[in-house]
Amino acid sequence: MSGILKRNIVGVIARRGLATEVAQEARLKTFKIYRWNPDHPAEKPKLQEFKVDLNKCGPMVLDALLKIKDEQDATLTLRRSCREGICGSCAMNIGGRNTLACLCKIDTDVSKQTKIYPLPHMYIVKDLVPDLTQFYKQYKSVQPYLQRSKVPEDGRENLQSIEDRKKLDGLYECILCACCSTSCPSYWWNQEQYLGPAVLMQAYRWLVDSRDQASKFRKEMLQNSMSLYRCHTIMNCTRTCPKGLNPGYAIAEIKKALATS
Amino acid sequence: MFSRGLMARSAAMRTLHSTSKRSLTIPFLSTLPPTPGGVKGDVNDPTFTPPPDKLHGSVHWDFERFTAVALVPLVGSGLACGADLSVVADSLLCSVLLAHGYVGFQSCIIDYIPKRVYGKNHNYAMYLLTLGSLVGGVGIYKLETEENGITGVVKALWNAGKEDKE
Amino acid sequence: MFSLGLNSGAFWARPLRAASRRMIATAKTSAARQQEILIAQRKNRPVSPHLTIYQPQLTWYLSSLHRVSGVILAFGFFATTIAFGTSALLGLGLTSSNLARWYHEKVPRWMDLTAKGSFAYLFAFHFANGLRHLIWDAGKALTLRGVYTTGYAVMAVMALGGSYLLTW
Repeated sequence: MSGILKRNIVGVIARRGLATEVAQEARLKTFKIYRWNPDHPAEKPKLQEFKVDLNKCGPMVLDALLKIKDEQDATLTLRRSCREGICGSCAMNIGGRNTLACLCKIDTDVSKQTKIYPLPHMYIVKDLVPDLTQFYKQYKSVQPYLQRSKVPEDGRENLQSIEDRKKLDGLYECILCACCSTSCPSYWWNQEQYLGPAVLMQAYRWLVDSRDQASKFRKEMLQNSMSLYRCHTIMNCTRTCPKGLNPGYAIAEIKKALATS
Repeated sequence: MFSRGLMARSAAMRTLHSTSKRSLTIPFLSTLPPTPGGVKGDVNDPTFTPPPDKLHGSVHWDFERFTAVALVPLVGSGLACGADLSVVADSLLCSVLLAHGYVGFQSCIIDYIPKRVYGKNHNYAMYLLTLGSLVGGVGIYKLETEENGITGVVKALWNAGKEDKE
Repeated sequence: MFSLGLNSGAFWARPLRAASRRMIATAKTSAARQQEILIAQRKNRPVSPHLTIYQPQLTWYLSSLHRVSGVILAFGFFATTIAFGTSALLGLGLTSSNLARWYHEKVPRWMDLTAKGSFAYLFAFHFANGLRHLIWDAGKALTLRGVYTTGYAVMAVMALGGSYLLTW
């Protein structure tokens, strides 16, 4: 008796130990993902369809992508790191908008497809991975570091008032994900010469930093027809920023500063 | 199992609408050879910053805004007065409109026919624009001196169909 | 796992040369050769789609309409002034009255309505959006809410102003 009882009890405990496994109908969401393989460069890029059961997947698009990579196609290539919207690695075009995959909730309407493309108008290394070399070179060209000609007054710290520090709010939080720059049509057409909203906002961040003494030089760097003035205030950048920043406003302020210099 | 997955995947593959190796280009307009991957020089070097050129930078931008701002009252008065606009006001309107149009077209040319991609064709486009503007300037002169100015032309054309009814 | 034979000591006793040749392959290259390979790879890379896939939004749709309307209006203006200019330079005898007469006689009603309609609405739009751009250049209304509010206002002006101009 004890053997049968033990087995039944163990069975019940084992079944209770598993989470409430209610039989759920699979909610299959269709993802269409851009694929291109550099090992077969002659093949044109394609959209590949994957179906994911949303009942067994986390809420964000990144969860779905990693689930696909895990269970269906291990060759799906994407950049990802922090999974919390702070590193900027997983920037891609989801449903037509540039955003971070780890912050983008999956649209739970399973009758609709979600299309996932890499960042627009970028040279593609593989699948969803764009070549951000030019983006980083542009960032470097703007000299994003403190430049002073004089040692601070007290000889120790570069002091800054609270009002001056407030001017940096909304500028320093940029994670350089490249969502805004790659949403800008001007950047699409003139990527090699126009700096793009992300880099320009960082240029403004250093222009407006009261501790920096190279403002004149920074302004001169932007005095040409292409680096800054390809911006036509399209405002796609502000619309798409996944961190809620406003590069369009920063660029307008730079133009105002240059106009009166 | 593998073959079923492969078959399903190939059926699901759909070729994308054209993704070329370079940006959109204007048909029949010759281009310079493209830079591979859009990257010039070493990966660790910053992009080239051209020497400061205020004339094509902030001065140009100021001029653009100036023509735009000036056009607001000029166009307003043109719409309000119609053909009764004085010759002076009409000439001012036409000249500022010409400048505004020139700067607008120049912006389009720099954006869509950049020197970096089209080389000499960019210069030809700018010459064509400048030539057109000069001829247009002559036309404006003629319009102001012999005709009723641009407002007269617009009035004549706008109401050209209206005489039909009467 | 056991079938790979990795748990047998005999496997590890032999040098890995044969296995390493099969599993890993590296080649010693110079920096110049590596740069060459990178550039060759870059030449193959496609450009990701942009206009065709980007979500239609008020921001870039109104901006492209501003540019398109500007180009169309400027074409009309330049065409007219250049026509008068060439006529003056080459003595072709164009005047606003015979231009109006040609237009009245030769241009069919549907073309006339299309031209007037597009000019009326595009002009109203370009003027209103131009004001919106000037407001932005002053640094105002450059938030997402400001962009959308002014955008809808401009579309309303286009509808009303355009209709008014058309029936002028």
